[in-house]
Amino acid sequence: MSKTLTVEGTVTAVDTVVRLTSQGSVTAPSLVTPAGVKMIKKIVSVVTADCLAAGQVTYILRLGGSAVQNGEQTIVLGAAGNIAVQAGSDKAPAWTVPKVIDSVDIAVAGSDTISVSAEMAGVDIGTSEVAVTLVFE
Amino acid sequence: MSKLFRTREGDITAVDTKTQLTTLGSETAPGPLLVPAGAKKLNAIIVAASSNYAVAGAGTFICRLEGGGLEDGPETCVVGAAGVGVATGGASATNSRRIQLDLDVVPANEIIIFGENAGTDVGTTSMAVTLEFQL
Repeated sequence: MSKTLTVEGTVTAVDTVVRLTSQGSVTAPSLVTPAGVKMIKKIVSVVTADCLAAGQVTYILRLGGSAVQNGEQTIVLGAAGNIAVQAGSDKAPAWTVPKVIDSVDIAVAGSDTISVSAEMAGVDIGTSEVAVTLVFE
Repeated sequence: MSKLFRTREGDITAVDTKTQLTTLGSETAPGPLLVPAGAKKLNAIIVAASSNYAVAGAGTFICRLEGGGLEDGPETCVVGAAGVGVATGGASATNSRRIQLDLDVVPANEIIIFGENAGTDVGTTSMAVTLEFQL
């Protein structure tokens, strides 16, 4: 039987680790892995940006904390790029559908703390939003 | 059987130029990416790339894996592509993609990751590559 943990957050600068600690209306969800779980089996993620600055970035997920048994794991979540529009023009939105990575199989301990962080690398494109769901088994 | 994930990223500024991906966001010098002890296979790569659309053109993005950590020598894989008709107003956001592979690896040896922009220069491109190892 699977259990889920969803966290999200705002990344405002490149090369800065941002802990994802909120969940919309729930400002401080538990970051303790469910009792009895052994693995992260699946990761569901989305990234987007407001594209208020010209640049290009990639997004990296960092999974750490004492629950992650083989040390910090880093996984690419996505990428975004943007160049400024001509004066008076509008820009198309930058949006993505959820991405699912199956069979992630990251060993974790149950009932222990997990740290979920995101990071932009590259050249700042403005403010980015990142949301991640971990599916435990 | 658990898995381990190791990532590198970097910026590619010119076409047809092999560019080593050596950083990891806030880690500017994470050091060589070594095949973890006990790893049996490089199962997959997870990749994403985006250009800044600062130059009108169209390019493809290629990842190259090299180094003594790959038992059977270098490998290459397409990572993505980008194009824009005018250098004012291009924008995109994309998810990464997992590409299943089945490569033999040599633990404790280095895998060097390169990115490359082929075709026409589309400005600066950021690329990130995760290596998924099977224990």
